[in-house]
Amino acid sequence: MSLLARFSRSNSDAAEGPTQAIPSGALLWLIGSFALLLLPQWDRLPWWLIAACVVLAAWRWIAQQGRVRLPGRWLKTGIMLVMIAVYVATVQGRFTVDTAASFFVLAVGLKWLETRSARDFYVLFFILVYLAAVNFLFQQDILWALLTFGAIGCLLVGVQILNAPDLPGSLKAGWKRLGLLMLKTLPVVVLLFVFFPRMAPLWSVPLVSGQARSGISDTMRPGDISNLVQSSERAFRVTFGGATPEYRDRYWRGLILDYLDGETWRQRDDEPFQRLGRVATDGGVGPLADNEYDVLMEPTDKRWAFALDNSVAASDNVFRAGEDLFRFSRPADSPVRYRLALAMDSAPSSPVLAPAQRYRYLQLPQGGNPRTRELAADMAASQSPVELVNNLMRRFREQEYFYTLRPPAMPEDGVDALLFDEKRGFCAHYAGAATFLFRAAGIPSRIVVGYQGGDAGAGGEYLIVRQYDAHAWVEVWLEGRGWVRIDPTAAIAPSRIESGLRDAMAEEGSFLENDLTSPQRYGDFAALQWASLQLDRINYQWQRWVVGYQGQSQMDLMSRLPGGIGMRELGYITAGVVGLALLIAGVVSGLALRKGTRQDAFGRVMFAWHRLCEQAGVPVRSGETPMVLAERMADARPVVAETARTFARAVNSHYYSSASARQNAADSQRLKRLLKTMKRQLRRYGKPVSRAPRDD
Amino acid sequence: MGMLKQKISSRWQRWINRRIPRSDTQAFSQRNIFIVPTGAGVVFGVLLLIMLITGINYQNSLIYLMTFALGAVFVGAMHQTHRNLSGLTLALIRAGEGTAGDDVPFYLRLSAGKDTSVAISLSVEDSRLDGVHIRAGAASDLVLPIPSAHRGYLRPDRIRIETRFPFGLLKAWSWLRLSSAGIAYPRPLVAPEAGSLVDDGSESRAAQPRVGQDNADLRPWREGDLSQRVMWKRFARSGQMVVADWQGEQGSPHWLDFNSFPGADAELRLSYLAWLVADRVQKGAKFGLNLPGEVIDPDSGAAHGERCLRALAVWGEQPPREHDALPFGTRQTLDVQPAGKRV
Repeated sequence: MSLLARFSRSNSDAAEGPTQAIPSGALLWLIGSFALLLLPQWDRLPWWLIAACVVLAAWRWIAQQGRVRLPGRWLKTGIMLVMIAVYVATVQGRFTVDTAASFFVLAVGLKWLETRSARDFYVLFFILVYLAAVNFLFQQDILWALLTFGAIGCLLVGVQILNAPDLPGSLKAGWKRLGLLMLKTLPVVVLLFVFFPRMAPLWSVPLVSGQARSGISDTMRPGDISNLVQSSERAFRVTFGGATPEYRDRYWRGLILDYLDGETWRQRDDEPFQRLGRVATDGGVGPLADNEYDVLMEPTDKRWAFALDNSVAASDNVFRAGEDLFRFSRPADSPVRYRLALAMDSAPSSPVLAPAQRYRYLQLPQGGNPRTRELAADMAASQSPVELVNNLMRRFREQEYFYTLRPPAMPEDGVDALLFDEKRGFCAHYAGAATFLFRAAGIPSRIVVGYQGGDAGAGGEYLIVRQYDAHAWVEVWLEGRGWVRIDPTAAIAPSRIESGLRDAMAEEGSFLENDLTSPQRYGDFAALQWASLQLDRINYQWQRWVVGYQGQSQMDLMSRLPGGIGMRELGYITAGVVGLALLIAGVVSGLALRKGTRQDAFGRVMFAWHRLCEQAGVPVRSGETPMVLAERMADARPVVAETARTFARAVNSHYYSSASARQNAADSQRLKRLLKTMKRQLRRYGKPVSRAPRDD
Repeated sequence: MGMLKQKISSRWQRWINRRIPRSDTQAFSQRNIFIVPTGAGVVFGVLLLIMLITGINYQNSLIYLMTFALGAVFVGAMHQTHRNLSGLTLALIRAGEGTAGDDVPFYLRLSAGKDTSVAISLSVEDSRLDGVHIRAGAASDLVLPIPSAHRGYLRPDRIRIETRFPFGLLKAWSWLRLSSAGIAYPRPLVAPEAGSLVDDGSESRAAQPRVGQDNADLRPWREGDLSQRVMWKRFARSGQMVVADWQGEQGSPHWLDFNSFPGADAELRLSYLAWLVADRVQKGAKFGLNLPGEVIDPDSGAAHGERCLRALAVWGEQPPREHDALPFGTRQTLDVQPAGKRV
């Protein structure tokens, strides 16, 4: 008989097979959720760790089938020690959030081997929930977020199966129950999200990541940027308050390279050392003014902010460093939003370059590239700096120079080889060569590295600047005019500057040739482009309004609501929301209950009568006839003795009258009157005669 | 400290007992359902707090969002767990019988209200019944075996009904405080003289004084005495109904007599008698039972046997009183009460 089969003595649990304690369905969902939660981390976790996790989880699953046994204590300890040793060997003492996160994953992996009881199941459940939270530190895109929430859903369904393993159809019911629960609590969650006060960090935790990020770097060898433009990863997105500048004017300055070290351009002054800490992600609030623009930058782990010429800072988290560049006070380890404004007035009228600066921007290595130096000397002898610059640009334009992603190797005297022999190169080659020539001719010049261009996102609301928009160009100092932007690429391949790399490389067919998965590569498929842009738009809004909903944006939203809502008010509101949610839950369950007991008027009167008895210290026993109860009431409170008996008689006559003859309303009215009389009597002569009998 | 703890505990018991009056049926509602987080629920709460701190420290909106969503799930689970129990009615159909030291089955009926109830468990002390599911409006008959400690009435103070569904983060529970009691028969022990007595099937010999056994006990007639034993001559003479108990009759196959095991402890005698009853029933013999204060006329059959066993079980025992808030006859009583206190 199934009833008896289900019966178990609690102390006999230990005798059961260890792997039987957890239902397979529950375990499967837990493992599935683990797999989902590993996905967002797969490119940052070491491969051996992923392999180990797969093996350990699979081991647990096969053990569930009873085909293998879980390891004993010694084997388990051995596995654990080996794994930790491998971990220590790979980490090599680096302590970053990355290594901490991989240790966390390692712990989850090892835990599979000792998941035997429901208790272990819960431990794993909690760890996985926290793993989901850790994932959000690294991945905040909407798709990853949905995946992570999906994994949480799997966990909660698994727990439901654990709690009711033999329930038929529990899987479907579990998802349905969870979905309804989420749906019902959604308003509370949204309210909490909006109103929960976004406090400043309690203590500062750097989110230093060991992961290499793609993006421009602070050194430039001739081939560097052509590698970078093989990636279609997003660098940043820009929204303009006013009109979007023309494509050819979209020069996003990032950093300046002013020191030529052999073949490599680098910064003369290293970036000053910074204390570890988090970058401020509050990037200004409110609608954008006409001259303002708002940049949402992907993490770079660097302090550079990208800006158009003649910008001024409009948000607090970004400041103007020297050389018309912008910096954050901390490396950008998470997406950062900042705001800049285009200055109306251009550069100061009579700029002066200090001698030290002039010396700095004329630096060249001792030897090398003799032909270029010779050409520079010739030109400088007969031409003014402006003429010289124009002539070089004309040379680039009129001679057979090619803009290519597949330049030949130019190992010796690269600038000479580029200018006189090969005449094939990418922006970094030409910018480097031009700067070399200008300096050799005595014109102070420098290389600017950043991005150029940016394509409109879906709906044209914002620009997306990708890694393949990375660019290098030149700035020269012309007396009386200050720093002037000179872009050799514009002379050689105008399409690159006018419409982007895709068009510039159309003939060569080398645009994103190694990035087969990028939707941008397949520009011809309109549907793919459209889908990719729509997804980006959703993500952009997600980043701006959900991920980026932090202190200042919250304060901004609150300031738009009536009444001055500050931090304290937010606290009150949060408490209110929680209280209200609990209250609603209480009322709903109360109503559901009342619905069960909500009978006719007669039922209500009986309920009130029973309550009166209990208040008078006469406990109501089920199955007791009305008469007996009335007698007990009469004993306890002689004041109401007669009324109670009358009441009981009336109740009896109600019960025993045939259904057709029942006059519910009239009976109830009479009973109600009697009840009222009793209450009055109790109030008036209310002293209990004897202490109410106690139940124990 | 101990005093205070005891006082609080007894207060709490009184409060519960007031909310849940003794009854063989109990409908569960807001009035009598208790709900608290389980250990896992407490850990979950701590986890949410840690996640909130992580969210604050890393200024991560998505961690905030996840924390709030899980917090809302927790509150929603509170409602669901509660509703899983509320609306149920647990009723005792019959308190069963069994042998002392063994499990005594209690037959219960659990009926659902308008909600389906899932993963309900019933428990008494260390015996439990797990994973009972009942569809909305349906009912299910359950057997809950309750281990008995000794012969006599068996009434657990409370049958606990509990659910942790759906997430196991909260437990809602209530109690059924039975007023009826089950019965535990004395544990049968092979009676010493049983083998030496042979039933010769003669009814008439019973009343005959045997040779050399004239030390008869004379006592007033009482209900249940066989008519053959009445000293009719004496009745004719004095009008008094007097019955002769022959010493030599002790251990008579017809009569299972409490007094036939001189020197044995009362409980031991009851155990012997229980064995004899089972033995006679098995052989299909006709027999009567003579206990101090209670006599059962000879008869045969299983029903008669049960009647006798029941008489043996409750001999000298008081049925549990309505207001006693103590378990009765379960194993827990051995821990709670000193052994000597029992009758």
